[in-house]
Amino acid sequence: MGSADVVRDGPAKAFMLCNEAIVRGAIEADVKVVSAYPGSPTTEILDTFSGVKSNFDYRMEISSNEKVALETCAGAAMVGHRSISSMKSVGMNVASDSFFSLSYTGVKGGMVIVMADDPQAHSSQTEQDGRAFGPSAYVPMLEPSNPAEAKRMVKLAFDLSEKHGVPVLMRTTTRVNHQSGIVELDKIVRKPFEKLDWSHAPARFTTVADTARKFKLQLLERTKRLEEEFNSSDLNRVEGTGSEVGIVTSGAGYNYAVEAARILGIKPSILKLGTTYPLPKRLIADFLKKVKTVIVVEELSPYLELHVTAIAKDANPSVKIIGKWTGHFSEAFEYNTNIVVDAFAKALGLRTPVDYDAVMAKAEELKKGLSDRPPTFCPGCPHRATLWALLQATKGMKHILSTDIGCYSMSFLEPLNYGDSMLSMGACMGVAAGMQYAAKEKVIAMVGDSTFYHAALPGLVNAIHHNDDFTLIILDNEVTAMTGQQPNPGSDYNAGGQPAKRIVLEDVIRGMGITDITVIDPYQAKAVVQPIKEALARKGPNIIISRRACALYADRNKRKRGEAILSNKVDKDVCKKPYACIRSFNCPAISIDDDDRKATISKELCDRCDVCAKLCPFGSIKLREGE
Amino acid sequence: MASDEFSVYMSGVGGQGLVLLSNVMGSACASVGIQAITGEQHGLSQRSGSINIHMRIGEQIRSPLIPIAGADAILALEALEALRYVEYLKPGGVVVMNKRIQHPIIETIGHMKDKATRYMSVEEVKARLSEVTDKVAVVDALEIAKKAGNPLTENIVMLGALSTLEAFPIPEEALKKSIAENVPKKAVDVNLRAFDLGKQAAFETLCNIVKCKK
Ligand code: SF4
Ligand code: SF4
Repeated sequence: MGSADVVRDGPAKAFMLCNEAIVRGAIEADVKVVSAYPGSPTTEILDTFSGVKSNFDYRMEISSNEKVALETCAGAAMVGHRSISSMKSVGMNVASDSFFSLSYTGVKGGMVIVMADDPQAHSSQTEQDGRAFGPSAYVPMLEPSNPAEAKRMVKLAFDLSEKHGVPVLMRTTTRVNHQSGIVELDKIVRKPFEKLDWSHAPARFTTVADTARKFKLQLLERTKRLEEEFNSSDLNRVEGTGSEVGIVTSGAGYNYAVEAARILGIKPSILKLGTTYPLPKRLIADFLKKVKTVIVVEELSPYLELHVTAIAKDANPSVKIIGKWTGHFSEAFEYNTNIVVDAFAKALGLRTPVDYDAVMAKAEELKKGLSDRPPTFCPGCPHRATLWALLQATKGMKHILSTDIGCYSMSFLEPLNYGDSMLSMGACMGVAAGMQYAAKEKVIAMVGDSTFYHAALPGLVNAIHHNDDFTLIILDNEVTAMTGQQPNPGSDYNAGGQPAKRIVLEDVIRGMGITDITVIDPYQAKAVVQPIKEALARKGPNIIISRRACALYADRNKRKRGEAILSNKVDKDVCKKPYACIRSFNCPAISIDDDDRKATISKELCDRCDVCAKLCPFGSIKLREGE
Repeated sequence: MASDEFSVYMSGVGGQGLVLLSNVMGSACASVGIQAITGEQHGLSQRSGSINIHMRIGEQIRSPLIPIAGADAILALEALEALRYVEYLKPGGVVVMNKRIQHPIIETIGHMKDKATRYMSVEEVKARLSEVTDKVAVVDALEIAKKAGNPLTENIVMLGALSTLEAFPIPEEALKKSIAENVPKKAVDVNLRAFDLGKQAAFETLCNIVKCKK
C-alpha cells in the first residue's frame, strides 16, 4: 500500500487505493506536471503525488483552486508536456470555464483530468452528475471500475489525449476512488525533465468568434474519430454471451451488477462501458440486437439509459429496457449490491436468497436506542472554541450566519445546528452581501483560510468595494484541514514540502483597504467573547481572524518533533456537575461517568486545548500528570 | 458463494486506524497472490464519526461493498460500532469487538439533560448481538495495546485476534511481514507484539466459541 508501492519498480503486484493507482499510472506514463486542489474523494491523488514527489522529477503545485490547477496543466500541455489534474466534480464546476475552451483549443502534450462524483454526497454539497461535462464540452470521458483498471486507463488516457490533441476526462465516483485492490505494477521508464521549445504558430491556443467556429467543426470531427475508435476499444467489453438478458453498465455500477448476478445465480450478458463519451453507439446497437431485456445499471442521472433507449429505437425497438424510468432504480444516492439485487429480482421475477427485509427489521430492532455518531470537530479543534465564543458573543443578538465549506461546515450538524446558509466554496461572502441588503438582522460570514484563497477573494473585493455591512470571520488554522491538512497559500511550503511564499492574511485584507481587523486566539475561550462582541457591533465590512492551527495538524507536528501530546483530567472532588464543559461545547473526549454522573475526560482522546478547563466555573479540570 | 471467500466488515470511530488494517491485510494478500478489494471511507466521516471498511477476499468478488448478511465477521474497534452494522453479519457470523466504548457526543448531551439515562454498555451490546449470533468475542484491546507498549496499537491487537479464525485466509507470515512494511520503522516491534498479544487474547476468548487455527 501507499507511497512505497507507488515508487516501487515493476513488474510486481501491489495492493493500492484507486487514487494511488491513478498516480502510479500517471508516473508510468511519464507525467511531467501535476496540479490540483484537494477535494474528497480525489484528495489522495494529490497527497500521493506530493508524498512521492522527491522520487521523481515532475513539477507539482497544490493550487489555490481547481480552475488554476486545470489552467496550470493546460499551459504545460500546450507547451508539450504531459500533465494531470484531479478534482471533485464540484471543483470541476469551478474549473469548467477554462475546461470548455480547452476542448476547443486542444493540447499538444497529453492532459488528463480526473473528476470524481460523490453519489450519496458523502463529502459534498450535492450529488452532481459530472458526466454531463464530457458531452457538453466534447471531451472524451473514460470510467474505470476498480484500481487496476484505473491505472491502465490513465496511461491510455495520456496516449489518447496526445493522439487526438484533446484533454481526456477520467470520471470516477467515491466508491471507485476509495476502493483498494490488487494492481499490476509495470516498469517505470521516465525521461529526464527538460523544458521544451514553444513550437506553435501565434494565436494557436486562442478561441473566439471565427477561430471558435473553426475549432467547433474540428472538434466534431475529432469526436467522430474517437467514437469510431471506442467502438472497437477493449475499454468496452461484453462479458458472457447468449443470454436473453443484457446489462449495460459502467464504473461502480458494474461492480454491483456482477455481484448481484452472482447472488441471484443468473448469467446475463454484460456490456461494460469504459468510454462513456463519446459512447460506442455501434457496439451498443450490436449488443441490444442480441437481447430481449436490457437492464441499465448506473448511479445518478439516466445518462446511459437515455442513450440506450435512443439507440434501441433503430437497433431493436422491441427490447425491454429496465432502469430509472421504469422505477426499478433511483436517481438518488449511491447504489450497492443490495439495491441492484432487488432491482434485478423485481425485473426478472426472481427470489432473493436472503430475506433482506427481515434482516434489516431485526437489525433495526437490535439498534433501538443506539446513539448516532455523526462526524464532529476533533478534540482540541479550534473551530469548536471559535463557535462556542461566537455563540456567547451573539447571545440575544439576532443574526444570520452565512458559512462556507470546510471542517467548520460541521457547525450545522448535530449537536450545534448552527449556521444558516452554505452553497459552495467561497460563496459565504456573495451570499452575505445579498443578505445584508435584504435582511433586518446582523449578517455574519464565516470562511476558512483555504476557502478564502480558493474562491472567496473576489467576494471580499466586492464587499469592500460596495461597503457591504457584514462581519467576516476568517478561521485561520494554517492548512486545508478538512481534506487532510494540505498546505495552502497561507503556508510556507507546498507539494512535496518544497518551500513556498507565505501569503499573510492581514496584509491581503489591509491591502484591499480594510483596517478593522480583530485577531483572536480561540483557545483563550471566555477572553475572546468581548472582542468578538465589539467587532460585531461595528459597521461592516470588518474582519475577525480566529487563528489557531488545526488540532490534527498540530498533533502531527508535535509527534514529528517528539513532543508529547498532553491531556486533561477532571478532579472529581471539585466537579459539581455544572456540565459547562459539555454544554454548547461538545468535546468528544468528555463524557459523563455513569457511577457518579461527573464529567470525565478520555486520556486517549483529549488533545489538551485546555478550553474546557477555562469554561469550568469550579476549576475542576486540570492537567493529567504522572499517569 | 465460493467457500474460499472471506468478507470482514470493519468498523470503528474516525481516527482509530481502520485504514491501516485493510492496508496490512490487502498488501499481505498481494504478496501471496490472493485477490482482495475494499470499500473504504475517507473524508468528512473521519472526524470522530462512525466509519467502516468493507474488506473482501476472494477471486470472484467485484463489489467493494459487502452485501447485507454477507460478512463472515465484524471486526469492531469500538463496541457500539459493532452493533451499528449488525445487518451486514451473516447469520451465525463472528463478531470480534473491542471492549472500549467512545461515547458519541450527542449521546453524552442527551445524558446530561436526562439524569435517568445510562450509556449503552459493552454487555448490552453483546447481549443484543447474541440474538443473531452465538459467536461474539470481546477483546480488551486498549489494555493489551498498552501492554504491548503503545495504546495506539489497538487496531493491530484486534487484527491479531481476528487472524486466529480458521476461516481467515491470509497466512500469518505474510500478515506479519505486511505489518512490518506498513507501520513506521520504529513502531514495527511494538506492533508485532500487539499482534501476538491479540492472538493470545483470542485463544483465551474467541477460540472457545469458534474454530480457530492451531
Ligand atoms: S481536522 Fe482540524 S480543523 Fe478539522 S475538525 Fe479536526 S481539528 Fe478541526
Ligand atoms: S482539553 Fe478539554 S476540550 Fe480540549 S481536547 Fe481535552 S477534553 Fe477536549
